[in-house]
Amino acid sequence: MSGEALTIALAGNPNVGKTSLFNELTGARHKVGNYAGVTVEILEGEVRGELAGGRRLRVIDLPGTYSLTPIAEDEAVALRGLVGRERPPPDVVVLVVDAANLARNLYLALQVIELGRPLVIALNMIDVAAAAGIAIDPAALAAALGVPVIPTVARSGEGSAALTQAAVEIGEGAPAPVALEELRARLRASPEGPGGEALAGLEAALGDPLRARALVGARAADTVALVAADQREAQAADGVAPEAAIEAAAALAIARYAEVDRLLAALGHADGARSGAPAMDRSARIDRILTHRVWGLAIFIGVMAILFTSIFAWAEPLMGLIEGGIAWLSDQVGALLGPGIFTDLLREGVIAGVGNVLVFIPQIALLFLFVGLLEDSGYMARAAFLIDRLMARVGLHGKAFVPLLSGYACAIPAILGTRTISSFRDRLVTILMIPYMSCSARLPIYVLLIAALMPSDERVGPFTVGGLVLLGMYLLSTASAIVVGAIYKRTILRSPTPPLVLELPPYRLPRLRNTLLAVTDRTMDFVREAGTVILAMTVILWALLSFPRPPEAPAEAGAKVEVVAGAEDAPIVHSIGGRVGVAMEPLLRPMGQEWRVGIAILGSFAAREVMVSTLGLVYGIEGADDDDRPLREAMREAREPDGSRRYTPLRGLALMVFYVYACLCMSTVAVVRRETRSWRWPIFMFVSMTTIAYVAATLTFQVGRLLGFE
Amino acid sequence: MSPRSLATLELGVAARVARVAGVDALRLRLLEMGFVPGTQVRVIKRAPFGDPLELEVRGGHVSLRAAEAARIEVEG
Ligand SMILES: Nc1nc2c(ncn2[C@@H]2O[C@H](COP(=O)(O)OP(=O)(O)OP(=O)(O)O)[C@@H](O)[C@H]2O)c(=O)[nH]1
Ligand SMILES: [Mg+2]
Repeated sequence: MSGEALTIALAGNPNVGKTSLFNELTGARHKVGNYAGVTVEILEGEVRGELAGGRRLRVIDLPGTYSLTPIAEDEAVALRGLVGRERPPPDVVVLVVDAANLARNLYLALQVIELGRPLVIALNMIDVAAAAGIAIDPAALAAALGVPVIPTVARSGEGSAALTQAAVEIGEGAPAPVALEELRARLRASPEGPGGEALAGLEAALGDPLRARALVGARAADTVALVAADQREAQAADGVAPEAAIEAAAALAIARYAEVDRLLAALGHADGARSGAPAMDRSARIDRILTHRVWGLAIFIGVMAILFTSIFAWAEPLMGLIEGGIAWLSDQVGALLGPGIFTDLLREGVIAGVGNVLVFIPQIALLFLFVGLLEDSGYMARAAFLIDRLMARVGLHGKAFVPLLSGYACAIPAILGTRTISSFRDRLVTILMIPYMSCSARLPIYVLLIAALMPSDERVGPFTVGGLVLLGMYLLSTASAIVVGAIYKRTILRSPTPPLVLELPPYRLPRLRNTLLAVTDRTMDFVREAGTVILAMTVILWALLSFPRPPEAPAEAGAKVEVVAGAEDAPIVHSIGGRVGVAMEPLLRPMGQEWRVGIAILGSFAAREVMVSTLGLVYGIEGADDDDRPLREAMREAREPDGSRRYTPLRGLALMVFYVYACLCMSTVAVVRRETRSWRWPIFMFVSMTTIAYVAATLTFQVGRLLGFE
Repeated sequence: MSPRSLATLELGVAARVARVAGVDALRLRLLEMGFVPGTQVRVIKRAPFGDPLELEVRGGHVSLRAAEAARIEVEG
């Protein structure tokens, strides 16, 4: 039936290169990383290029899974995709296996063979296997399994054409070879012992040994509803006692591994059960230092310190360039259009507002670059390994550390990343912790305040003051996340400390090209947001801050002097926005803030970065028309009527503390609602975080003042 | 030699899995990760504060806490 679309599903153990292959086949750029559990939802795409017969080939990429008896949400998503729940089952399953780790990867292959769906094996990472001295004969493996085996290197695209071709052939109904039938027959043999009896009972009830195997596993993993094809199967499976199902599933697991070892022996491989880990040799040597008892922790802290201080130092020159460009653009617009309300809107609203956010592109890109390099190297799993003891104290496991760390970039993918955590309560604790991690949207705020108000270029040893203050904000946010997690885990979300099963993948050299592409993609997301949400907010706020104009404009020159001297009569305080700001000032005074900041805080309820653009607006509207100073200078030089600095370092610090805690991101609230399937948790999160923010900022300011810092 | 817990195995010494104790989902998962009877395992290292462990099994490295590793009985 040419012309009709064929669907292939990429399945396999975690971190074997499924998404790399998917990207290669479809031309997409989905996230790839060297740790288990990068992909946590089903990705869809279409194979690019002409296929024989003009056929369309759809591809879905599944999360990784060690077996078909899922213990976490991501594995359940994979199983659903494989058996076809929310969507029709795939026509062909392409099982991606790690050629350097067949002794474990073939286990899932056998389970998928039991499922009985048309199957092709992609023998991926043959480059890694070859480098480790593991020689595999794909033809012999194919003959032994009775399934086509295509060697691939997903990183370079080697073998992907052969793979699609094999998948199309199988999808068009090539008959199963004899070997596969023999293998299925062997897998059908019943294990002995108590589990065997439960299985035999189920087999008798269903009359189909392979279905009975799938269902007894489902019963053990509590996923009968997913796996059962109909009411009859569900009832039969639910009739098995849970303990008996676990015994049966355990006996089957042992039998499958016996079959794996038999297969590997027949192929002349080192005994699967007894092989060491040749592909890990080099990584183990690296780990002698990176996970060393003393050096490991020191390096971990060092890596974090370098990360945050260099974000600050390296981005500085680029920032200056962008600022210069924006000022130039503003001047050009001013010269071209002459004075007028439309010019004001363009210069003070659009250019100043959006420009003040775009200034932070270098920092954001650097942050994404660092996190991307860490994720792609294999260090994330080591960080989780090093930090697990601390996480165990909290009551979580080291695996929760991976989504927490990616929360530095953005909370939303990090919250999705918690799908790898098996218990729902623990997942929820981690979800509630993530928004405390300082995401990239806070970075502009920290950088603005540090650069404007602190002696940021002074040095302390090898570090700049600015970098250290920034590091301090990240430490505060991380420590707060951990404390909050510990509290929830002991109160509202009490549950036993979960087990840790964490794979430590071999280190890989990050591919700079891919990392850079990913950085570009994510930075463009940021720019796009600046061009849409922030632009829209800025225009609205500009209007609110500009109208109504003061009753009768005082002499032009006089007004300008006044603005510099003191703002209480400035035109802006007559506007709606200005009035709201002034009205809320009593609320802000305890934490050392004044009405301009108040307006900015209100603006940032839409998105954090709006804080920066709003302040830019306020100063733009307030300032003289020919005043193109960057916002940080305007803030540094701002004076109260009595001549004192409007923003002191202490006030800046209090404001930063506010932004560490305040939950000011509607997308985060929405994604928490989606992942927890209720409004309860997002509302709880929003209210608690905002309250903590207010209290902590007030404490910072008041305590600082008592200590004489003003 | 009688079986003993994997958690007490000396670093770098190879032993074979005798059985995985308990009847729960974790037992099943440990078996499915390859800790089946007869499989060779080694403790590669312990994390800075003594926990978790890094184990070598079936061509890969997996980290388990001592509490879970203790459920894996090894011999030889
Ligand atoms: N050397 C080499 N590395 C590869 C190959 N395929 C993938 N990788 C790397 O292996 C790592 C995992 O790749 P992914 O594509 O994210 O793996 P995945 O199976 O989608 O992982 P999960 O989504 O976590 O299940 C990345 O660092 C890839 O760059 C390959 O054929 N050779
Ligand atoms: Mg993936």
